[in-house]
Amino acid sequence: MKHLSAAQRLWFYRGLTLLVTAILAHLLTIWAVPRLIMQVVLQGPMAQTLNMHNRAAFPPPVTAQSRAIVMPSPDLLYSVCVFDLSEGAVRVRAAPQLPNYWSIALYSANSDNFFVRNDRQAAGKPVDLWLVPSSGAPAQDRVPAGAEVVVSPSKTGFLLMRVLASDYQADQMMLEAARRTLRCEAARGP
Amino acid sequence: MSASRSATGKRWLIGALLYLSAVAVGVGSALLVLKKAPWLNPSAQVGAWRVNLHAGSVDADMYTRASVAVNGLLALGREETMYFIAAQDDSGHALRSNCNYRVKGSAPAARWWSITAYADDMFLFDAPNGHYSLNGDIAKRSAEGSFDFTTGPTEQPGSYWLPTPGKRGMVLTLRLYNPEPALQAAPQSLHAPQIERIGECL
Repeated sequence: MKHLSAAQRLWFYRGLTLLVTAILAHLLTIWAVPRLIMQVVLQGPMAQTLNMHNRAAFPPPVTAQSRAIVMPSPDLLYSVCVFDLSEGAVRVRAAPQLPNYWSIALYSANSDNFFVRNDRQAAGKPVDLWLVPSSGAPAQDRVPAGAEVVVSPSKTGFLLMRVLASDYQADQMMLEAARRTLRCEAARGP
Repeated sequence: MSASRSATGKRWLIGALLYLSAVAVGVGSALLVLKKAPWLNPSAQVGAWRVNLHAGSVDADMYTRASVAVNGLLALGREETMYFIAAQDDSGHALRSNCNYRVKGSAPAARWWSITAYADDMFLFDAPNGHYSLNGDIAKRSAEGSFDFTTGPTEQPGSYWLPTPGKRGMVLTLRLYNPEPALQAAPQSLHAPQIERIGECL
């Protein structure tokens, strides 16, 4: 640096600042992408169309026309809910009686899967979860004693129920009845 | 005075343009990296198949989280589901929807499995026969227990066919639901399905 002229030093620092700016923009984009995509899922056209704010919704089986969420599985029947804990706990219930795989997965606002319960874990018992925000004490959210509490890392997030549907046409009545046991609603207290 | 003010303004303008370019390079490189790599930072590669054991997990690094959000949003953690993705055939050539492939393998160590063909936008192909995937319930097994199917623009006689119309990139996704703990611990122990190109591409 000693041998550089003042003008050369100026350009060196300018170049360095530009490089740091590009790296920061790159990292910020990588950080922001999952959060922005989840915002589209939580508040975008699909959420509006299905009216799934603290309410379970039941989209039709996946086809080539299903373009709301990337990499949909054509072998699964999906049910969905956007949970919003800003007003308190959300209660999630389901009692699908099915011989094959099903699961209820919860995703935080940064897209992480922070909870899952499948049919083997449920062992034939109904699912009954009280979803609370990490910043709120369960008592404040009117969670009854003994209830199964799940703490969400974010105030809003996404619930995705998967039901294995290898042959939807043949099993339609059984599968639809099973998945429509899903409830996802703001808790009213004990 | 006026010439000096004009020179200062020009310097500010050039500076602003340079910084905007730097931001554009940073944002563009991030989006390019995410779009070009279906799974970043793979934990293991078996044959043509790559898996990231942190997909969907709260332990995911920021590149994995972003890559999964772009290419496979709402993935499950590996105890629930492992996702192996192939973007190449066994010869190392990128999968193309205008080429025919035979995929052959044996049932993986998992409760349930499926293999699905996706276009390079990670959505399903518009398959006229409604075959988007092959799964463990419908796959016909040989006497040795192996299964096979074909993908591509033309149906191969006697095979289960996943049509891939158009002329674009594609990937195959192998989903393993409730994989055995040994496979979760050592994903390279998977007997990876083979992907062989059949003939010339259209």
